[in-house]
Amino acid sequence: MAIKASAVLERLVEGVMSLVEIPINALERLMGRKRVPYLFLAPNLVLFGIFTFLPIAISVGYAVTGGTNLFVTDRPFVGLDNFRQLLSCQDYSRPGTCQESLFWTAIWNTFWFVGFNVVATLLVALVTALILNRAMVGRGFFRAMFFYPVLLSPVVIGLIWKWFLDRNGLLNAFFEMMGVPPHVFLLEVGWARFFVVLVSVWFHMGFYTLILLAGLQAIPKDLYEAAAIDAASRRRTLFAITLPLLGPNLLVVLILLMIRSVQIFDEAWVLTNGGGPGTANSFIVQYIYQMAFGSDLRLLGLASAASVLMGVVLLALTLVQLRLARKTEEI
Amino acid sequence: MGELKLSSLNKAFGAVHVLHDIDLSVKDGEFVVFVGPSGCGKSTLLRIIAGLEDVTSGRIEIGGRDVGQLSPAERKIAMVFQSYALYPHMSVRKNLAFGLENLKFKRSEIDARIAEAARMLAIEPYLDRKPRQLSGGQRQRVAIGRAIVREPDIFLFDEPLSNLDAALRVQTRAEITRLHQQIKTTMIYVTHDQVEAMTMADKIVILRAGRVEQVGSPLELFDYPRNLFVAGFLGSPRMNIVRASIAGIGPEGASIDLGHGAVLPCDVDPAAVRPGQRVLAGIRPAHFQRVEEGGVPFVVQYYESLGTETYVYGALAETQEPIIVHETGHFAPPSGTRLAIAPMPGRLHVFDPDSELAIARRDAGQRRGAVHGN
Ligand SMILES: Nc1ncnc2c1ncn2[C@@H]1O[C@H](COP(=O)(O)OP(=O)(O)OP(=O)(O)O)[C@@H](O)[C@H]1O
Ligand SMILES: [Mg+2]
Repeated sequence: MAIKASAVLERLVEGVMSLVEIPINALERLMGRKRVPYLFLAPNLVLFGIFTFLPIAISVGYAVTGGTNLFVTDRPFVGLDNFRQLLSCQDYSRPGTCQESLFWTAIWNTFWFVGFNVVATLLVALVTALILNRAMVGRGFFRAMFFYPVLLSPVVIGLIWKWFLDRNGLLNAFFEMMGVPPHVFLLEVGWARFFVVLVSVWFHMGFYTLILLAGLQAIPKDLYEAAAIDAASRRRTLFAITLPLLGPNLLVVLILLMIRSVQIFDEAWVLTNGGGPGTANSFIVQYIYQMAFGSDLRLLGLASAASVLMGVVLLALTLVQLRLARKTEEI
Repeated sequence: MGELKLSSLNKAFGAVHVLHDIDLSVKDGEFVVFVGPSGCGKSTLLRIIAGLEDVTSGRIEIGGRDVGQLSPAERKIAMVFQSYALYPHMSVRKNLAFGLENLKFKRSEIDARIAEAARMLAIEPYLDRKPRQLSGGQRQRVAIGRAIVREPDIFLFDEPLSNLDAALRVQTRAEITRLHQQIKTTMIYVTHDQVEAMTMADKIVILRAGRVEQVGSPLELFDYPRNLFVAGFLGSPRMNIVRASIAGIGPEGASIDLGHGAVLPCDVDPAAVRPGQRVLAGIRPAHFQRVEEGGVPFVVQYYESLGTETYVYGALAETQEPIIVHETGHFAPPSGTRLAIAPMPGRLHVFDPDSELAIARRDAGQRRGAVHGN
């Protein structure tokens, strides 16, 4: 039965292939062999054009025009005014002295978030990967467990944790049971920031753990045997063998993590009820969102200018990553 | 120092029993080769000696002390891996220094040992390169160098030449032998190549399916194989094995019948056989000679001429048992030629077909050590 089915399938594929071959041969004769591949790329290129490159161009269009009109063509050209407004500041370290103080608050919040989040996620993912790399019982289960949150929607993540951390949430219920006075975690600046990082680490660590685990498993076992014969302690093996050989993977993780941390928005937005308390957890993407869609006054020009600035930073990070990835391929 | 003693060593991976009651002693400074077919447990045995694998039962002594509970580093051994296992991110110099640094050697001592090893192995020009910038042969030398600088009591090699091309293999084989003569340290060398075993070893340990089949010097094993397996394993082309029977036992000893009246004298211990007993006769191709009279009739099928030697393929005329005969120099017998051949004196091996063991010879005194060899 199965053999028959596969034979039929094979015949079918062969039939289709020979049908396809006729027009392709004709095309090759018509356009030349080298040009045919572009024909097949065309649908994809069109989609990318419409949904990626065109929006970039439109964003730049919005960024250099003012007013509140929706259509770019209806908007007055203002040159670099929007950028000037975003960047005019007496003291960049004190957002209050900036014309767009919210923008600079968001930048500094994002800056600190990226710092803590990158370090924490990297460490947690690395330690988890090192542990999972040992021959241990239930390794597959743990791997799946740590990866599972990656599959969830950010909004779901935000909601789950909010329920957990609320004034009447699970954590406080637990505290009350233990006789500890309850906290309103999400209304205290320190706690709220801490939990934004914690939730982000919990959410994403599985993904990075997987990358690092793949890297660890690619290190030949006999290097560890050679190190054992060479009297290397566990510490020395970790620092002199494992980490250097994991270097390329660590770099990839570091850059990916930075790019994605800069883009922090949805789960934090849901968790903190829009960046609260106050503006303590208001990040750059949130600023862009609020300027563009947050009120009836659609400040599309400012929002787009901020997007373009962020895009430039991300582009720089991506280029660094591509450069490093190419370099590590040579090792 | 570098004596090694294994007693009733057993190793099982889960339910798979891969080494059975291994007993072996190695004297200080000996070059011992473990040889056997793929999967027989050579690497496992070597890794157990290194401490990379624990034993299921049994005892390992190095230099008279029980090392069963010691880590690889504490056993004073050094190992050269089949894959070389060089640290890819470290320079050659760093690779050589790594073990010594871990053992807290003084910098000056480390540098001196590296310089000495580099000189010995002619790897001085590459000391600051990474392993990937070296050829296979150069990596091989670095791997050996990493073992040498440790000045271990025992060197362990796991098929170190298998990744080299034929010419380099022959050269490196000679170099390892020379190295052994120079530093006179115990070396244990795993290979499945019988030529390596024959040319390098002071003592060969033949393994099959996790059991030691025979231990002895290369020539002892070659001349006095204890059983059919050893007889067939060493020597190329393989020893001819034909069905035969004991023809009779006279005052001059026993004679053997290779079939239909082709009777030859043989030097089995007359007390160990009885007339008419079925046996297997083994004669190496090189141990046949052409005779004028009294030989066994042999019909040529074809031959391979290698210039200095010729292999003649054919069969015994009476029994059709296939036989290979080795001749030196040029010899071009047309197909169908009938030759009379006979084994050279003392070169006929007789085996029991059931136990596959060699039947004792009259000159048993000569081969003490060949049988047990411990
Ligand atoms: N880690 C392991 N787990 C289970 N079985 C193993 C393990 N290592 C080796 N074996 C088994 O033990 C037997 C001996 O293996 P070993 O590697 O010692 O053979 P070998 O003589 O070195 O062969 P080769 O010449 O192919 O290298 C094999 O049957 C192998 O399948
Ligand atoms: Mg092996």
